[in-house]
Amino acid sequence: MSTKSIFARVFALFLSLSLLLAACAPVVTPTPITEVIEKTVEVVVTSTPESVEPVEITYYTFSAAPDHLNDLDQMIQLFEAKYPNIKVKVETAPFDNYFTKLQTLIAGGVAPDVFELNYENFVTYAEKGLLLDLSPLLKTDSSIDSTIYYPRALEAFSYNGMQLGLPATFSTVMLFYNKDLFDAAGVAFPTADWTWADAVAAAKLLTDPTEGVWGLHSGVQFWEFYKKAAQNNCKFFNEDKTSVLINSPECVQALTTMVDFVKRDKVMPSAAEMGGVSDGDLFLSGKLAMDVTGIWMFAAFKDAPFKWDITVEPSMATKATHFFANAASIFAASKHPQEAYQWVQFFTSDPEMAKIRVDSGWELPALSNPAFFTDYLSQTPPSNRQAVFDSLQFAVVPPVIARQTEMQDGVGKLLDQVMLGQLTSQEALDQAKTLIERLLK
Amino acid sequence: MSEQSSQAISPTILTTNCPGSYRLKRRVSQSVLYLLLILGALVMIIPFAWMISTSLKTVQYVLTTPPQLIPNPATLDSYLRLFELYPIGRMLFNSLLVAGLTTLGQLVTCSMAAYAFARLKFRGHNLVFLFYLATLMVPFQVTITPLFILMRIFGWINTYQGLILPGVFSAFGTFMLRQAFLTIPLEYEESAYMDGASPLTIFLRIILPLSKPALATLTVFAFMGSWNAFLWPLFIVREQTMMTLPVGLATLQGRWLTEWNLVMAGTVITVLPMLSLYLFAQKYIVQGFVMSGLKG
Amino acid sequence: MVVHHSKYQKYLWAGFFLLPSLVGLLVFMIVPMVSSLALTFYEWDPLIPTRFYFQGLQNYLTLVKDTNFWAALLHTLFYIAGYIPLVLTAGLGVALLMNQKLVGRAFFRGAFFMPVISAWVAVALMWTWIFNPKFGIVNYLLSLIGITGPSWLYDPNWAMPAIILTSVWKDIGFIMVLFLTGLQSIPQEYYEAASIDGAGNWPRFRYITLPLLSPTAFFALIISLINSFQVFDQVWVMTQGGPAGSTSVLVEQIVNNAFRYGRMGYAATMSWVLFLIVFLVTIFQMRMQKNWVTYE
Repeated sequence: MSTKSIFARVFALFLSLSLLLAACAPVVTPTPITEVIEKTVEVVVTSTPESVEPVEITYYTFSAAPDHLNDLDQMIQLFEAKYPNIKVKVETAPFDNYFTKLQTLIAGGVAPDVFELNYENFVTYAEKGLLLDLSPLLKTDSSIDSTIYYPRALEAFSYNGMQLGLPATFSTVMLFYNKDLFDAAGVAFPTADWTWADAVAAAKLLTDPTEGVWGLHSGVQFWEFYKKAAQNNCKFFNEDKTSVLINSPECVQALTTMVDFVKRDKVMPSAAEMGGVSDGDLFLSGKLAMDVTGIWMFAAFKDAPFKWDITVEPSMATKATHFFANAASIFAASKHPQEAYQWVQFFTSDPEMAKIRVDSGWELPALSNPAFFTDYLSQTPPSNRQAVFDSLQFAVVPPVIARQTEMQDGVGKLLDQVMLGQLTSQEALDQAKTLIERLLK
Repeated sequence: MSEQSSQAISPTILTTNCPGSYRLKRRVSQSVLYLLLILGALVMIIPFAWMISTSLKTVQYVLTTPPQLIPNPATLDSYLRLFELYPIGRMLFNSLLVAGLTTLGQLVTCSMAAYAFARLKFRGHNLVFLFYLATLMVPFQVTITPLFILMRIFGWINTYQGLILPGVFSAFGTFMLRQAFLTIPLEYEESAYMDGASPLTIFLRIILPLSKPALATLTVFAFMGSWNAFLWPLFIVREQTMMTLPVGLATLQGRWLTEWNLVMAGTVITVLPMLSLYLFAQKYIVQGFVMSGLKG
Repeated sequence: MVVHHSKYQKYLWAGFFLLPSLVGLLVFMIVPMVSSLALTFYEWDPLIPTRFYFQGLQNYLTLVKDTNFWAALLHTLFYIAGYIPLVLTAGLGVALLMNQKLVGRAFFRGAFFMPVISAWVAVALMWTWIFNPKFGIVNYLLSLIGITGPSWLYDPNWAMPAIILTSVWKDIGFIMVLFLTGLQSIPQEYYEAASIDGAGNWPRFRYITLPLLSPTAFFALIISLINSFQVFDQVWVMTQGGPAGSTSVLVEQIVNNAFRYGRMGYAATMSWVLFLIVFLVTIFQMRMQKNWVTYE
């Protein structure tokens, strides 16, 4: 048999099999997403549940393993004591693979009842109608009031007037600084009123090539860029996404300022100069005077062999800071929405739960009552923890479109090209505009 | 002759009757060879020495610039911490069970199929073999979702059969054994055929014993593939008691922070059983082609 | 010559030997593969699993215009061109050496196989250090001979070579074991007969070793080609396709579309175009094997 005919036969076989399958696959006229969401759940939430049989719900999370599984277990024990008919089963995955697995579970029809979502993925899941609307449940819940949540966080997880998740934790990004390095160079500590010009001036005095010490670090990537753009009064697109503004002069200037830290001011190491070491590790080893990073690094920096503190991030034309939050959401087609809601409500607002969180340093609960945070504020380092809450007034949310990940990847790659000197800031943002317009179509 | 002696280069045989300069040349080239080998071996294992050393370091010293090879202070804390954080024993057991059964399954199914391709040349065997090869050419990342849905239909999610079975049927193993079987000279079987032996007898009594190196090699590769598998076990396992080592230890890579000393300790624990299996299998791979009285 | 009692019996035996493997392959590999092929004619978001948008050939047309795909294809081909020759010749060389009676042979064999048994995650960190522009060994060694090394993983022109070198390092042991297995099954008598006839080293290598090793070499080539077209883990862990997309490869694009952009149909399309390329290359190799591969 000649190779050609073997090939032809195999290909024909595959083709016919697949066409057969294609013909049989359900060609469903897509149900408008609104239909799926409008499925309301009529549930009466009382404090003493009526059903006797224990219901098992799954809670899928990325933030618990490995360090806080014990804390989560404690919370579950408290919860199950309060609601003896509900059993919570925990499922974990590392963050890098979390959404891949979640997607596969949903595709396979075995989605968990409750799962943790960060903001960017929340939007994707919300607009695909995968999340249960919690507003009717909240309304009929006599035990709590939605004002218990920090309003910004609650807003972040509402979509089209529906509450599709309750905020479990929030975090901010601050300017961390190494006090010992500042003292040694005789430079005054950063304050909340600093502009980036002030920061660069200080950084120049702190950068010491012979010692391998750098003045500052603020990553040139998507999340930092939209924030810096906001600091310069620039948005990626307008309210109803009809026009893309990412290449406007203010945005270009914001990007140029970021890139100049490395290229012109020479106070920040390039990726090659960092050589695989993260900025956090650089800070920890005393080779970085100022680092723009998140409050999740408090635990890592706790035992640093030098004194450090934080302040609100410097401004350009105005102040803009990051606000990140994680939600607990319920799968729209969950078989136990009532029990799932009990868990979500407990997990996000119960005072005992909040205490466990703060005591073990497992992220901050997104609650508005300052009483929850007195313990948090008294922990050191850093001493200026109040700055975390100060920065909330300037918080901006990420620009979000339907094809979010593609936009993040595409813009990120363009930013890389600017750093590599392959494109100017203007060229990169012009290309970004074309990309986003294509993705919005 | 139970062990292979040198083949392509046989210094001892050729130098006994040669002039002195030739012998010197041989010595020099041999030493150069050794030097290259030692250098090569060093290049191969220094990263592992570094891995072990990282697993013995305390957190602050893990990512120093420049990197230190000797940990100072050295501590077993990472290993102790790992055992605290994870049910290592259970995960080891799961990994052993899954990899062991997968390997057994591959050995049986692949050797049988390879025999059919190598000796029972039925009509259309080339086509079917091409079919087998084709299964290696589609990236598993795209077939994993339909496969998961299939497992859901079978009700095999979070079960051992769901973990093991998809890995048992391997075109790689079949291909490798087919090549091995094809190199066995036909004379060994001819006499048996003349005596009316069935294909099964020939398979069990002649082909398999003569293929020990290839079978040992497949054992190592099959075990290794299953032992290190990550994505499929991640999807199919839904509770901690069923986790294999790679899946269990993956959560060491945090979203913001990774404790590399712990990751390295986990890697050392994961690598040791594999290394032992390989060293054990070496005995069979090296054994060589045993010829025992078939030549009449 | 293989003698069978009747044609009917031959098919029965072939069926018996082939069935376990074939059935398993059909269920766990072919069915998902065919599903993914069907998916190429649809747009399917795994998050909305009941919704299929029929696309006809639209996915294929989009693919033709997709610059990311073509760039990824180019990078993959570049990877293959660097990786295959290096790993096969180095692997064969090491196998030949390992087949000699050398002191510490077992140690060397173990050393060369160590990279193969570890997972990429741990290995990648070590190699990020080795290729570190400032403190890595590679640039240090280069500086000793007066060359300033490039930024390797941070330089768009050098990132892929770094990945190629790392991959060769990791897989040499694998190729070595394959060739060792093949070398072990060459009957000693052939060499003995050749010595008696007075043949030297090179003729023995050229007329005995090489031809009898060719089935193994063919296997090694095909498997390496099939695997290298699907290179993924090391790229994902070491550079994530960067810097600025210079190491983006085909499977990385497929994974992005399947798991991060919610475009499973498009990812499947890419996979099947990849399949087609690999299939054609394999067919070509199988044709060519008549020229250089000798079976009994």
